[in-house]
Amino acid sequence: MKRWSAGRLIRWVVLGLLLWAAVAGGCLMVGSSGIGWPGSAVLRLRMQYTLTASVVGAALACAGIAYQLVLRNPLAEPYLLGVSSGASLAVYLWSLLHFSWLVLFNQQLFAFGGAVATLAIVFILAQRRGRLDPISLLLVGVIVNAINGSIFLLIFHLSKSQDIAQAFRFLAGGLQMDLAWAQINLVAGCFATGWIILMYLGGQLGVGGLSEAEAEALGVRVQRLRWITLIVASLMTASAMAISGPIGFVGLVCPHVARLLVGSDSRKLIPISTILGACLLALADVASRRLNQLPVGVISGFLGGPFFLVLLWRTRRQGAR
Amino acid sequence: MIPLLQVIDAHFSYGRQAILQGISLSLQRGAMTALLGPNGAGKSTLIRLLIGHLHGQGKILWEDRPLHRWRRRELARRVAYLPQSPAFDPGQKVSEVLRMGRAPYWGAFGLESEHDLAVVGQVAKLLELEDLLDRPMDQLSGGQRQRVFIGRCLTQEPAALLLDEPNTYLDLRHQVDLLKLLRTLVRQRQLAVLMASHDLNLAGQYADQLLLMSQGRIVRQGTVQEVLEPQVLRLVYGLDMERIDRADRPPLVFPVHISSSEIL
Repeated sequence: MKRWSAGRLIRWVVLGLLLWAAVAGGCLMVGSSGIGWPGSAVLRLRMQYTLTASVVGAALACAGIAYQLVLRNPLAEPYLLGVSSGASLAVYLWSLLHFSWLVLFNQQLFAFGGAVATLAIVFILAQRRGRLDPISLLLVGVIVNAINGSIFLLIFHLSKSQDIAQAFRFLAGGLQMDLAWAQINLVAGCFATGWIILMYLGGQLGVGGLSEAEAEALGVRVQRLRWITLIVASLMTASAMAISGPIGFVGLVCPHVARLLVGSDSRKLIPISTILGACLLALADVASRRLNQLPVGVISGFLGGPFFLVLLWRTRRQGAR
Repeated sequence: MIPLLQVIDAHFSYGRQAILQGISLSLQRGAMTALLGPNGAGKSTLIRLLIGHLHGQGKILWEDRPLHRWRRRELARRVAYLPQSPAFDPGQKVSEVLRMGRAPYWGAFGLESEHDLAVVGQVAKLLELEDLLDRPMDQLSGGQRQRVFIGRCLTQEPAALLLDEPNTYLDLRHQVDLLKLLRTLVRQRQLAVLMASHDLNLAGQYADQLLLMSQGRIVRQGTVQEVLEPQVLRLVYGLDMERIDRADRPPLVFPVHISSSEIL
């Protein structure tokens, strides 16, 4: 048994960052035209893409493990509470309303606003006297997602507009490439703040996976933990969503791979899952470059889906033994 | 001496349905108390009221301080709770479950002290879990698993242990082993143990005090001789009971008038 000390925590974080740096360094060498170290202008562009992919992947994977721990559900993922459907609907409305002339109301802000508004509705409907129950949250999340989907289709039907390319590009889950550094830095800042808060709560999140009474008897204020974790993880997801669109499986698969690697200690799961998410999406972005700009959401889905099925199959086989 | 726990006229209800009514009891250090009564009598609810998971009316004082004035972490260092079916991740190692008991002492980021690991080691040794520390929970027998959960409670270094039917899922041998262990802990560590149980005779043999509950009330409390009275048990369980008194040993009770056709 090794003690989870400050030194050990720092070692884990530094090792994770080194792993990511190695992967990101490799990603910088791969472009749509060939492999090799690029010139400064292309390098700057690839750095932007790699950083965007890494931040989005890290945010989704970190939010994913936080959701799974606090909702006590291994199938929980960051879009469960309506972040993706809310953002997608908002982006569609934005493309219809032609707000693009107003710099303040850019697509990213609309996506973030849509996600946050949907989250607020889910939390308001799911809470009961200020208490959050995982089952109610999951049910309300599923229902609100379905309603958002219906509204999307209804507006599409009524508007008779053919100009939905923007919204569908967003829905496909591609990383946006025409971002300003300030936007990427803002999302990176949101992610970093959320990550530190979730790491701070790392020990409690493991205990929060027990029954409510047990967790409280171990000194955890379960309701407060749920509110803080879900709000922080959801805002991280919403900020990532603003610059990416819905990217499936990263937030679901990375926590499970992390579990295979380091067991079930939440204090280790959060940093490992985050690093895996950053690396996976950086690699998916490279694959996207090589595959004629195929959206990373499609690639991560193709990689993550079969992987998850294999994982499920292995788990069932172990259970049957 | 101030009792470790004092409950004065506690009530609890779900909406208009009263679950607990007029509960008064006290727990002393170095004593084991068994909470008896049929299903639905309110035993589990009472235990969850005592740890502050449920909120009712009346006074609940831990070390003479009202329950609502205890901070959660602070109370978790004094009182440990084990539910009837504790939750666990099947792949979780025994050492991880034991370490979780130190959660009330962890710092920010879940950082552990040297003392935290030392306590886990001591508890593992006490409960003979040292060889199982790296085993996943789903590879343990019911008895071993229950020992691990008791271990998690002990790593909290509590003054009181509240156990909700800890004998569930255990065979007779493991039930006796568990009660012997609890008895030893009560003596050696001056722990106060409150244990909900359905086994009147085992509880009678090992507990210092019995509390008999029915329909949300404590109908009788005292020594085994005072509580295990056939007339009282008949009213509580709706069964005719017989009692065998033994010299220098607690009495035994059992239901009578069971015909062979009822058994078959």
